Amino acid sequence: MEQSMFKTFSRFMKLMGDRLPIYLAAILVSTIGDSIRRIADSYLIKNIITAAQTGNTENILLLVLGNLGAFVFGILLWRFAIIHYNIEGKTAAGKVEKLVFSKAMRLPMSYYEQNHSSDFMSRLIFDTQKASDIFTSRLRRLLAAIISTVIYLIPMFCFSWELTLCLIVISVLAFVVNTLFTKPLKTAGTKLSDKNNKILEKLTSILSGMELIKIFPVSSKLSKGYNESNREYFQIQKRTNHLSAGLESLNCMFDLTGALAFLGLGVWFVSQGKVTLGELTALYSLYGTFRYAFLDIGMYLPQMMNCIANTEKIFEFLDMEEEPEQWNFEDVRDLSGGFSEDMALTMQNISFSYSGTGDKKILDHFSMEVKRNSFVAITGESGCGKSTLAKLLLGFYPPEKGNILLNGKKYSELTLKDIREQISYVPQEPYLYETTIAENIAYGKYGAGRDEIIAAAKAANAHDFITKLPNGYDTMLGERGNTLSGGERQRIAIARAIIRNTPVMILDEATSALDNESETLVQDAIKSLKGGRTILMIAHRPSSIAAADTVIRVGV
Amino acid sequence: MVKAGLRNGYMLLLFILFSFGLNKIIIMGNDFIAKAADLMLSGQPVDFSSFMVPLLWMIALGTLAAYLKSISGSHYSAMVQRDVRASLGEHLMKLPFSYFDEKGTGSIITRLISDISEMGRFFSEILPELLVNIIVVVTATSYVVEMDAALIIVLFASYPVMLVTADKLSKNMAELMKKMRTFMDTRTELAYDAIQGITVGRSYNLYEQQKRKIYTVVDGMVAQGCRSTRISSLAFVIRNILTTIPIVICYLFALHETMQGKITVGEMLAFTVILSRILYPIGGVVFCINDIRETGVSLKRIQEIYRQEEEGRGGNIHKIPEKSGPIPAIEWRNVDFRYETSKSHPVLNGMSFSIETGEQTAFAGGSGEGKTTIFKLLCGFYERQGGQYFLFGHPFEEWNLEAARSCFSEVSQNVFLFPESIRQNVACGKENATDEEVIEACKNANIHDFIMSLPDGYETLVGERGVRLSGGQRQRISIARAFLKDAPILLLDEPTASVDVESEQKIQEAIERIAAGRTVIVIAHRLSTIKKAKQIYVVSSGRISEAGNHEELLEKQGIYAEMYAKG
Repeated sequence: MEQSMFKTFSRFMKLMGDRLPIYLAAILVSTIGDSIRRIADSYLIKNIITAAQTGNTENILLLVLGNLGAFVFGILLWRFAIIHYNIEGKTAAGKVEKLVFSKAMRLPMSYYEQNHSSDFMSRLIFDTQKASDIFTSRLRRLLAAIISTVIYLIPMFCFSWELTLCLIVISVLAFVVNTLFTKPLKTAGTKLSDKNNKILEKLTSILSGMELIKIFPVSSKLSKGYNESNREYFQIQKRTNHLSAGLESLNCMFDLTGALAFLGLGVWFVSQGKVTLGELTALYSLYGTFRYAFLDIGMYLPQMMNCIANTEKIFEFLDMEEEPEQWNFEDVRDLSGGFSEDMALTMQNISFSYSGTGDKKILDHFSMEVKRNSFVAITGESGCGKSTLAKLLLGFYPPEKGNILLNGKKYSELTLKDIREQISYVPQEPYLYETTIAENIAYGKYGAGRDEIIAAAKAANAHDFITKLPNGYDTMLGERGNTLSGGERQRIAIARAIIRNTPVMILDEATSALDNESETLVQDAIKSLKGGRTILMIAHRPSSIAAADTVIRVGV
Repeated sequence: MVKAGLRNGYMLLLFILFSFGLNKIIIMGNDFIAKAADLMLSGQPVDFSSFMVPLLWMIALGTLAAYLKSISGSHYSAMVQRDVRASLGEHLMKLPFSYFDEKGTGSIITRLISDISEMGRFFSEILPELLVNIIVVVTATSYVVEMDAALIIVLFASYPVMLVTADKLSKNMAELMKKMRTFMDTRTELAYDAIQGITVGRSYNLYEQQKRKIYTVVDGMVAQGCRSTRISSLAFVIRNILTTIPIVICYLFALHETMQGKITVGEMLAFTVILSRILYPIGGVVFCINDIRETGVSLKRIQEIYRQEEEGRGGNIHKIPEKSGPIPAIEWRNVDFRYETSKSHPVLNGMSFSIETGEQTAFAGGSGEGKTTIFKLLCGFYERQGGQYFLFGHPFEEWNLEAARSCFSEVSQNVFLFPESIRQNVACGKENATDEEVIEACKNANIHDFIMSLPDGYETLVGERGVRLSGGQRQRISIARAFLKDAPILLLDEPTASVDVESEQKIQEAIERIAAGRTVIVIAHRLSTIKKAKQIYVVSSGRISEAGNHEELLEKQGIYAEMYAKG
């Protein structure tokens, strides 16, 4: 366990590459700068008290100025280093984000279909943030606490090693007590955040179900549930409060006891002449700083461990298999003479089942041929595999058996990128990105000009409604394109497909979710595309099949 | 919120009291050190035992005070948060639906959740810390002033400078933080966008393009982060220098006084220790401006919600007449309506119609013509700006809102399902519905068999952690709810998307069952299903442009006939 954590940690640090030494040096220098500042502070007190005690004020101004100089030097050194530390740390954190997000876009399609996108994304973002925290704060805090603890001990031992030893004993006791509290406090914290989430969940329910609350008699039940969670949260909070108050008062006790021990021993030491009053005061003031740094180690170490656990999850994610450049599936049938040159698409003996659905074959020895530049409708009962067909053609999944050919070329010999370059796909519920309409269309063709975009929109029967919008083509689309009706979104998606000008176009139930008016407009748009390219239209409504040259039925 | 803060104020007072006590104890301890040091320096033998007893007392009292201080502070915060959350929840439920509809529930939720947590942070961290800092500064200052009143000037001379710089820096920081948050939001949105649209992204080979977009934002985030470090580290430097210099001057002053013989070396010792204690709080009082400013925005927003007026509760509870009768269920005369957000664009413009009790009436028309708005006005979610609305013969204003709404149930494909069990989702149709009633309703809605086929039956959870339901299944659940509610008027929002033949038949059956003997108002998106309606109103430009039954409308050769021909 410990070892695997260390492995993860060192693998994570290696992401920094050759910047790692600079990063670590920045941590070291910033800690030294900060320590110099604090030590200068305590020397200043020592000099003043010594002057008061001895009555020798000759050089005191010079000494104080010197201490102040060291103080300013320390803090400036700290700032210099901390800026560099942040540059390195944040750049590395950015690197992690880039790695994770680009990975998230390269997984096999099955992953996205099996995992709800918002579920895995929010987990991923959380883990990434926690892991990046190592670079931007956690590691420095821990190292700074350790390094400064050691640094502070040097002047403390110089002032009086006996007293310092005694103070260390008290600090270790405090450390142990604090560590004992760590676990129950953490458990309480988890419980609290669980309960808090529950409250928020109930609140979200109330707010999103507002329409129902107004019509149906649910408000009393919902508010009962909400108040219940609120009360439970409060009860746990109360219990946790006692715990943290206990810790605080124990720390206060160590604080006061430290003072007592310091007083008793210190005064005795002074009277023995082992230490001066100035040194004693300086030691005590430094001890205050030392104590916090020392206790910080106990606090930051578990936090660091937690972050490493998140890092482990990130690496697990990064190590997942990606969609390959091309599928290697076996051709079972000899192709000689098996296809004709003027076929845009050929499927031969395709068998396919989604893994995990109990080996139920969605397609079983399915074959079809689609002539170049023809308009083919694909129909069949729902669940017969129409949409699966589109997914296979797009290379989202490899078929278990059989061949797919695109313009006479075997899929197993084409890269997925090449295949997709040839096919434009319009899914049933087309996704529009949260950007302008123009950009959504331009996603079909990188660097498309405004004229091209408008031409495509016109071809898709979308131009008119777009220009009626207040911001025209620059209208920003909201969450999931909600500001537009289904038909309008569909037409933008078709424009996006048109602008690509690919030899093959696949429309998956493009009109099934539309009202009459929009359906006609979309149908018209599709009809106008006929002739120039191969169109595959998956549909089950008679009105949409009518325009097709050929109808292929899938399933029994 | 202020009320909750005051109501629990006694806890805050206790907190202040105990913090004060704790500080006093610490200062007293310091005096002991001073005396001991003086005794010892003057060469007298120090009697430790005479010091020990009061010091042990002090430790005991200090520990106790620390405990009580902590507990009263955190209890205060917990109590205020509990009260605010409770009253906020209650208040939100009573707000008019239009408040949520116009702002978009999603954005309200995200903002409210962050505001509530900011509110929690204010009461649990910022406020106590500010108070503790003030108390430390005040007690320590009074101690210092006892020595020489002039020192107060030295101590606070740098305050104006500090205030100005803190204010400026904190504004700068707030600006940067805002930008940073925008960057982070954009990054998250882009990532979600890319993943949710993965089918399009993958099939259009958009990977490189989207990757570049995300990378640009991440790079911007890094640059922004580095910029804010420059400022925050500068703030730290300035704060330290500004707080240290006056204290050093105080040290020197105390040294001067000691040399003059005005104070003893012991007193001087105590003085320096106390001063070093206030080094941090003295800056903390000023530099918490930033935190207060940030949470202030959230607190203001919460206050604003409180200021929103609740829905009226008055009005008569009229008896709902029989399910069929001579009085029209609904009558509108010249109703005008426009949304707050787009005042220039009237949605309803002198709309008049009458809906007979016990009959089926349909509204047809293109999308965006205001059909859905009619439903919202019928349920009293919005107030019309002109015209008259009679519900069962009584002007709508005279109705008690709750009673008026009890006349309606709604069936639609976009119904909201609570993230709870199916049983609970159906049961919300009627208060205290029994399990038998729920099952009966589900049987009537043709969804019982489906529910029983689920592994947990009626206890199956709906939503993210449970089963995802299709549009048709959701609609049948909403029919089951409507069965339980048994309201005289049924609002039926026709499905836009077709479902497979089998479920379409099941839905149709269920709808016919629930429609029987009720007043039914249909919003039709596809015309094929409303031929049976007794009366069809065609809506265009915010008014009724055609009315009649299917055959009559076809004869008119108007909008309806044209729409029908296209379908």
